Amino acid sequence: MIKAQNLFYSYSKTNQYQVNDVSFEVKDGEIFGFLGPNGAGKSTIVKMLTGQLKPKQGSASVLGLDVARKPKQVQAQVGICFEITNLYEDLSAAANLNLFARLFNIKDFDAEALLERVGLGGRGRDLVSSYSKGMKQRLMVARALLNRPQVLFLDEPTDGLDPVSSDAIRRIILEERQRGATVFLTTHDMLEADKLCDRVAFINQGQIAAIDTPHALKQKYGRRSLKAQVAGPEGRLELREIPLDDGNSAAAVTELFTQEKVITLHSEEATLEDIFIQITGRGLA
Amino acid sequence: MNPRMLAALVWKDIILFFKNRFFAFISIIGLVAYIAIYFTMPNTVDETLELAWFGPQLPGMVVSELQEDGLELRNYPSEEALQEAVLSGEDPVGVAMPQDFLEQLSRGDKPPVRIYFKTDVPDEYRAAYTLFLEELGFELTGNTLNIESEEVVLGPDMAGHQVPPRQRMLPLITVFILMIETWGLAALISAEIEAGTLRALLTTPLTIPGLFASKGFTGVFMAFTQVVVLLLITGGLRTEPLLVLTALLLGAFLVTGISFLIASVAGDMMSVMAWGMLALIVLAIPAFNLLLPGLTTDWIKILPSYYLVDIVYRVLNFGAGWSQASSGLLTLLAFGLVFFVLGAYALRRKLQ
Repeated sequence: MIKAQNLFYSYSKTNQYQVNDVSFEVKDGEIFGFLGPNGAGKSTIVKMLTGQLKPKQGSASVLGLDVARKPKQVQAQVGICFEITNLYEDLSAAANLNLFARLFNIKDFDAEALLERVGLGGRGRDLVSSYSKGMKQRLMVARALLNRPQVLFLDEPTDGLDPVSSDAIRRIILEERQRGATVFLTTHDMLEADKLCDRVAFINQGQIAAIDTPHALKQKYGRRSLKAQVAGPEGRLELREIPLDDGNSAAAVTELFTQEKVITLHSEEATLEDIFIQITGRGLA
Repeated sequence: MNPRMLAALVWKDIILFFKNRFFAFISIIGLVAYIAIYFTMPNTVDETLELAWFGPQLPGMVVSELQEDGLELRNYPSEEALQEAVLSGEDPVGVAMPQDFLEQLSRGDKPPVRIYFKTDVPDEYRAAYTLFLEELGFELTGNTLNIESEEVVLGPDMAGHQVPPRQRMLPLITVFILMIETWGLAALISAEIEAGTLRALLTTPLTIPGLFASKGFTGVFMAFTQVVVLLLITGGLRTEPLLVLTALLLGAFLVTGISFLIASVAGDMMSVMAWGMLALIVLAIPAFNLLLPGLTTDWIKILPSYYLVDIVYRVLNFGAGWSQASSGLLTLLAFGLVFFVLGAYALRRKLQ
């Protein structure tokens, strides 16, 4: 569905790369998370995959079409939700959608039905400038959906949104997957990626650092442990940690319960963020 | 790009143009104001040259001959009164002669004649008046020059039919209206680049040439419509309407290319205004040259607006036809193409 081969891009004349030797594949119907901090090269890769930038080296294909050679054919079949809110603020929501429907040559387009789907029913005639940030973002998603895309590129769709708007967008992503669309989700929200994505790729300094399912990454790089709060001297709470991946776990648990007064006990597994830090040596900020 | 896409984009641009209160205001109010200015400008030219006069009564034949040549003598009772009239600016030039001027002439004496000038009368005018009085004295002595002169006017003889100020003003107003639309389109494109909406448009099946076609269509439509309204109301389409419309269409095409260039270098509304003002001043020079002849020399022919102004002016005021305007039209078209291609190239680079 999506294939990137040795993608390279540089904005500078000195060939100081923004993206270097990036290769990966995204399967049909998959939700693929593209994770990395700001400036890691995520948006540049998305631009190359959607025909907004031509790779300086390497190639990208979407739906079997070479993106650099046939960008318009690709763009006709994909939906793109940009990181920045780029709507016509002085037009109504319905006018925004109708304009793009005409550009996609969609006949008998029903803007109200699409607005209803993203939770903006009844607000179609309002100017976009009167919308809240969450409403604008939902309208951006609606615009990306209007041509019933086979591939949906979503760039930080829930960034800075309230929980209700974020949940609405996550619901739409799952519905789209159910419809059969492939979703390419760019985010630096690791919890969101963990919840939604079938596979994720970590990108750092323009290169892919790791790529796999969230579960497999946790298995490979994460450490499982039990964390217990015990009563210490003078009633103070103290923390104990028992690693679960070495051979002495059972004995350590028995010892904990026989020798200490356990107040709380939790199992803990590594988050994607922990793994990202472990692999790249840096956080997501 | 199919017509449906084009129509959607043009309609969107027109709505956004009028949503911008500043451009909506200056477009509509500006058009009304320009038309009002046109009709308040004089429709005739006073071709009479007035000369303050203190001296003897000239023979009736000489006076009527001077009047035929457009010279009106204004008699003053004293030399002091004449000086006051010149000083106050009532008359730019005054002539004082002794009361026995004619007698002195007939005796073969050299009567003194004083010519008073206002301070700002140019040297050339002073020399011309002096020469005229010497010629008058020569004639009053009964002599005539031993030459046979013949008046030959090259081109249409405008004697008695000078172009009135309002007609001189019309090309200037035309350039102003076209340039205001340049600002509008450049501001529209600049705002779309800033907001990222052009990027959104270009990730649909819409191509960059398609986008430029739609913007070009919008720009030409907006500019052309307004100047046509102006010329319809001011009667500018009574002579050779097709030729005038063709020139205006090419002018609208030219300013659309210029607006692309402005949008490619401007980052926001303020810089659009600054670049647009610069372009307006430069492009308005040929039109100012019509208002103040002699202001410039042949170098103004390097300005693309010269050809628009020249065609409109000559057609409206001298009845020029296709044959006289064809080379100007071709040059205007060439300038329009150059600016459109340059503007589109610069804008494309900015979009990428």
